[in-house]
Amino acid sequence: MWGQYNVGLLVVLISGVIGFLALAIETDDLHRLLLLDLVEITTLGVIALLGTDLAEALVLPGLTVGIAELLALSQIYITKEGLKERPVTGLNIEVIQKADAPMIISVFLVVYGLLLSGFTGGGVAGLGLVFYFMSRGYKEDLNMLEMASGISWAIWIFAFFVFMFLPQYWFIALMGAAVGIVLKVTVKMSLVGTMWGEHRD
Amino acid sequence: MSTVTSIGGIPYYILEFGDELVYFTPYTITLFLLALTFTILVIISRPEQQVDVAFGGDAYRTKEISLSEMRFRRFMAIACGLASMGAMVTGDIFNFTLFTAMVGITNVGIVAAVKSPHVQDAAYQYGLVALAATVPLFAGAAVYAAATGSLSMIELMKGTVPAVPLIAKAMLVIGVIGEGMAPFYAAKAEMFRAPGAPYVIMCSLSSLLIFLRVVEVVMLG
Repeated sequence: MWGQYNVGLLVVLISGVIGFLALAIETDDLHRLLLLDLVEITTLGVIALLGTDLAEALVLPGLTVGIAELLALSQIYITKEGLKERPVTGLNIEVIQKADAPMIISVFLVVYGLLLSGFTGGGVAGLGLVFYFMSRGYKEDLNMLEMASGISWAIWIFAFFVFMFLPQYWFIALMGAAVGIVLKVTVKMSLVGTMWGEHRD
Repeated sequence: MSTVTSIGGIPYYILEFGDELVYFTPYTITLFLLALTFTILVIISRPEQQVDVAFGGDAYRTKEISLSEMRFRRFMAIACGLASMGAMVTGDIFNFTLFTAMVGITNVGIVAAVKSPHVQDAAYQYGLVALAATVPLFAGAAVYAAATGSLSMIELMKGTVPAVPLIAKAMLVIGVIGEGMAPFYAAKAEMFRAPGAPYVIMCSLSSLLIFLRVVEVVMLG
């Protein structure tokens, strides 16, 4: 087992070194940011090599911190370069905008995601919504979605408190946490997919 | 080994909450109180206004800073203080690395709202270094877990687990350094051009505290 771990570690570290080499050669700010995102993945690789439940629990916060830093830096990049007007109106492909296919695929993904529940389900359902918004272009008010995200997060946290203080009601807490997280991840992903077209004053 | 088990002093109090672990030793409680004091100072203090003076003449002008910008920076400084406090008292290696990464993000956030191209460019470059530093930081924590089977600092302190390999300690320290310690201070110095005294100080204070804590962490196992 140790032999496998060492080989895996070596492979991941070599890919990390390759990423850093590319980073040292690249001079464009935006490309360096993209390369860094690639290098970040090797971190997740090192954590995932543990191959235990603990590793799964550690990959998530590692990923979240990476995404948070990436979002913060992209925001700084936008301000730094003075990029203001970014009109993005979804995919401008007539076939996709007129056809029923995006609708059917989105519905399928959302239903499948709801059946999966949890983080994975949220991811799949969110992907369905992102695809729908992208293909149709959206005109909705995002405040409602943000509110739904907040409420589902509160349900998730509440379920955790039930786990800690009233463990005999674990089943209802499990259901609450599963529903809360599926809504939360779905809404978050659809927000990430649509907010770039938004103009905030 | 027996000399390093009490590196931070005998823990006064250990709070075990499932996997999460918080403990206070004389060393960490001192650092925690320092972080707490400065966070309270940031909350109650009024920001300064920078004055540019033209040398050779008597011309000077005050820099105008909008209220919303100051509010954002105060929020980031408080978040930075909270993250520093968390890093001081946590008894879990991975949580320590997460708090360190959060200090790195909030340090960028404190100056990111400043409308000066120099400061923003410096913040961006520093942010790139901080983002790259999460690689050795998290990888170090993962190797800690792989070698000892535990992330708990209390277990490391007892000396019952296998010794931590030097490479894990080295990666942890390199990660912490990249999040804003000594050699990369060059990028941060540009960031300190940002006006607003009490908030910018939080950048250096949090770096100092994290560095003092990582010294304790690597000497544990």
